[in-house]
Amino acid sequence: MSHPGTSTSSKVYRPEMSATWWLKSRSYFLFMMRELSSVFIALFVLVYLYELFLLSKGPEAYGDLRESLSRPGAVALYGVAFLFAVYHTVTWFQAASKIQVLRLGDWTMPGWMMLAGALGAWIVISAAVAAYFLGA
Amino acid sequence: MNGGVNYRRDTKEPFWWGMFSAGGVVAALLVPIHILLDGLAIPLAWIDPGDVGYGRMQALTGSPLVRGYLFVLLAMPLFHAAHRIRFTLYELGIRPHMPVAVLCYGVALAGTAASAWLLLVLL
Repeated sequence: MSHPGTSTSSKVYRPEMSATWWLKSRSYFLFMMRELSSVFIALFVLVYLYELFLLSKGPEAYGDLRESLSRPGAVALYGVAFLFAVYHTVTWFQAASKIQVLRLGDWTMPGWMMLAGALGAWIVISAAVAAYFLGA
Repeated sequence: MNGGVNYRRDTKEPFWWGMFSAGGVVAALLVPIHILLDGLAIPLAWIDPGDVGYGRMQALTGSPLVRGYLFVLLAMPLFHAAHRIRFTLYELGIRPHMPVAVLCYGVALAGTAASAWLLLVLL
């Protein structure tokens, strides 16, 4: 017994997609760069985890890793990772400022103001983290 | 069962989306400055290496507050990335979906466990 729409051989729409569809327009490309930012963020976190693990192994192990991280290749990779991380921050708060609507009485805060506030908070938090970690 | 994404029936999705979202905020606010400090400012000697060497890191991680902070910094972005990578692979046509999801979230869970072990036991 079969009802319409419940048959196991139901027709599922499966669009044909090439693996390079995201190269076909600027907005698709930027979408893919935004998604790719998460790969760099995950890589950074995993290396940082490893770095803290070596911190627990003593000054020598920790110093060895710090030395490899000063090689030009590593610095270049961190440079790229930093750009992707900042791209994530900007796009994240751009999206959030569209999703989160803030109303105060009859007044609705414009999106650009929400974005500016979030980016301002990001700068302040970053400065505070840097100051704390550097012992300033 | 076509190995696809069924948004309507997936009851676990809201949890992973919540972790993605919270992790996205942590990544947005905290990751750039740590990349800048750890990967660029220290290796390029923009700051005095004596300020951020082994001793300083030891002192920092001795504080329970800093350890709690580092746990959030390490664990949350992994869930953010896991979710994004999961769906991006799907958009790139890499299917079936289920093993990808298990792998992505599995790495995030393993990273969380490793962070907890490191910060609670080792450091």
